Amino acid sequence: MRQLLAVYRQQLKTALAEQLQYRAALIIWLIEVALGPAVSVSVWSTVARNEGGAVNGYSSAGFAAYFIATMLVNYATQTWVFWEFSRRVREGEFSPLLLRPIHPIHADLADNLAYKILMLPVITLVTLILFFAFHASIALTLANVLAFLPALVLAFALRFILEWTLALLAFWLTQVNVINQLYVVVVLFLSGQLVPLTLLPTPVQVASAWLPFQWMVAFPAELLVHRLSPPALLTGLLAQLAWLLVGLALFSLTWRLGIRRYTAVGG
Amino acid sequence: MTISATISVEHLRKVYRVYEREAGLRAALRGLIQRHAQEVIGVDDLTFRIESGEIVGFLGPNGAGKTTTLKMLAGLLYPSAGTLQVLGYLPWRRERSFLRQIALVMGQRQQLIWDIPVIDSFELNRAIYRIPSAQYRQTLDELTDLLELASLLQKPVRNLSLGERMKCEIAACLLHRPRVLFLDEPTIGLDVVMQRRIRDFVREYNRRTGATVLLTSHYMADVEALCQRIILIHHGKMLFDGELTRLIERFSPYKTIAVRLQEPASLDPYGEVIGQSEDRITLRVPKSAVAPVTARLLTEQAVIDLSVEDPPIEAVIEHIFTQQEEVV
Amino acid sequence: MKRNTMRDYLRLLGTFFRVSLLGELAYRANFWLQAIESLIELGTALALVSVVFTYTQSLNGWHASELLILIGTYFLIGGAINMIITPGMSRLIEQVRLGTLDYLLTKPEEAQLLVSIQRLDLWKLLDLLFGLALLVAAASWHGSWPSPLQILAFALTLLAGAIIVYSFVLFLATLSFWYVRVENILVIFESMYEAGRWPVDIYPGWLRATLTFIVPVAFAVTVPAEALTARLTWLALLGTLALAALALLVTRLFWRFAVRHYSGASS
Repeated sequence: MRQLLAVYRQQLKTALAEQLQYRAALIIWLIEVALGPAVSVSVWSTVARNEGGAVNGYSSAGFAAYFIATMLVNYATQTWVFWEFSRRVREGEFSPLLLRPIHPIHADLADNLAYKILMLPVITLVTLILFFAFHASIALTLANVLAFLPALVLAFALRFILEWTLALLAFWLTQVNVINQLYVVVVLFLSGQLVPLTLLPTPVQVASAWLPFQWMVAFPAELLVHRLSPPALLTGLLAQLAWLLVGLALFSLTWRLGIRRYTAVGG
Repeated sequence: MTISATISVEHLRKVYRVYEREAGLRAALRGLIQRHAQEVIGVDDLTFRIESGEIVGFLGPNGAGKTTTLKMLAGLLYPSAGTLQVLGYLPWRRERSFLRQIALVMGQRQQLIWDIPVIDSFELNRAIYRIPSAQYRQTLDELTDLLELASLLQKPVRNLSLGERMKCEIAACLLHRPRVLFLDEPTIGLDVVMQRRIRDFVREYNRRTGATVLLTSHYMADVEALCQRIILIHHGKMLFDGELTRLIERFSPYKTIAVRLQEPASLDPYGEVIGQSEDRITLRVPKSAVAPVTARLLTEQAVIDLSVEDPPIEAVIEHIFTQQEEVV
Repeated sequence: MKRNTMRDYLRLLGTFFRVSLLGELAYRANFWLQAIESLIELGTALALVSVVFTYTQSLNGWHASELLILIGTYFLIGGAINMIITPGMSRLIEQVRLGTLDYLLTKPEEAQLLVSIQRLDLWKLLDLLFGLALLVAAASWHGSWPSPLQILAFALTLLAGAIIVYSFVLFLATLSFWYVRVENILVIFESMYEAGRWPVDIYPGWLRATLTFIVPVAFAVTVPAEALTARLTWLALLGTLALAALALLVTRLFWRFAVRHYSGASS
């Protein structure tokens, strides 16, 4: 365990050094990350104004708080590995990873964390700008922050495992980008990043509750801005745990099959 | 199969199933249901043993199955049939303790991280391979010394030349002091000076650590300089396994006789003239005729100098492969 | 010396188009991948609009059918930009970086034209066609067909919008003669363009100003859509046309200045 930590420390240092080379990309990322919430807040605030100040209990300020929260949770849980993996397999960059005496998922996890550390100032800045530009209002209490943290960690674990599993499809398919794109759209909708889930049609809401996506973003975000009731909190945490277990099972199965295939056809 | 051999391979076989794909969407959709599989034999019935500390050259034309074999030995490919063991492990299980004792060097850009200084990539490998500090420092010093890395370690990888990158790549693979080293074309694309330096280094590493080395190369100079023993494969099959000199004896039916004459003369009656420059003439004669032809030359011509040589190894190997093609 | 006529330019464009078509036809799979990608994007936009309009009758005065007209315009002009303008510009930046622009400057044809049409991303044509189809469908759903005058105004503003975007992007790309790392700027433009899916008047002042004058998304999408839905004043129409002419002129002068600077610097 201590040695694994040493690997993480070194991997983090390396990833930080590597990503610091691309400071210019930070500006682009700042705009990309801020634009989505800014557009959503603008649209829904306009609707709220038209409809006498509120839609389904969301005021303009409420929408602003909600979309800033989903942006933060999305930042904390986002991964890119499913875009990366097909290139890795295609260009023979996967074989060296397989020859290391450590599972490749560790390197990706460390990379992801390093990126997040690096982006922390950017996301803080974006949050502040959006918060004041859109007059968001939020009432934080110690209790809902305390409830938010475990939900966020679980959301990250869940999303990381599921997206790494999705990435493994590259072992079987050469054109995974269309699937990835479809996945991104589904996540955008069903994780509550485009629209608060309660505004979606009822059948979609029901389906969404049984799918993993809303537990990856919407649940922690709502926890932060709405102070969910204790039963809703409990349901959410259990759903996250259940999906995490499913994700781990899927991951280990897909990994085993994928490696078997990879080592049969040649890297 | 005894455990003592570092590498032992018996009746190893690798068959790839290749699906034919026609162009077009309709064909692609049809391919989802029914595919035309074709079997391609990568490696066919290879058997050999390599003892600890040997340096063995693995030769064959492109597509002969060299890389496939190396990948199976390193654990990246699962064999279709036969058995193989490396250091007593079954490679394809890729157990941690196995991976910590081997290294596979395959071309550029696999260990080093492009944008950061070389030394940071090394540090990462130290953590991943759990190399104890003292050992790491000692190995790093040795490698820095042998490969002349001192001025490179602080530079980002993208600023290195091809040769410098290859040196660092090799060093990164050796930090954990592998007991078995697989080198796939370690000198490809490098200039002559750098090729020699890598070659000297491999020999020195083998001498100092007693590591077993299996290498493939297109450059015969690599093989001649490093390997007492070579394994020759073609179309996945073993053609020869033994010492380099024995290869020439066995496969070359000819020798070459180089003669310098006092005055020019035609030597056609003595054998096939394959080279002529100023006063030096090179003849190719069948092995059995070497003695009588030499005797006749010395009595019948005004010879200043005469030497009998083996043909260059490239020529011998080319000869073997073309013969094989004719058989096939 | 014979001056090039408009017809010569069009013939040159036609030749480039045919060459890229032949090249692309060799990879038919790309056609389907692009088709799926475009449909996913279109589907996302439409789904979002349908959710928004379950909660309101009009978004800042735009009815659902009018908003679909706007989205149709967004895809139409976005397809044109991504087919013709951005591929050539990113190639230009690459050529400046690698020093291969010299070949192009030695060709006996106007360099600005060659640079602008040197690379076509042909399958973006699908976006353009989908956009057109959506426009027609939305207009017929709207009930009253636009008058010939409105259609004329639409065509004019569309052309003006395309010219403004072209001038803007060429201006940015020309900066690469001095600053090598501007490729990121194009990425910023692409992500800002996504804000054009909604009428710019729903955004708060600072964002609207940015989308109008810093990144001219408003002229590309909102203004033509306004023309088609009888929102555009004569003054705004004339202003847009004047701005297009001015933008083209400024960029043209800047380009010539840059080429002189480039030839001076590289010799």
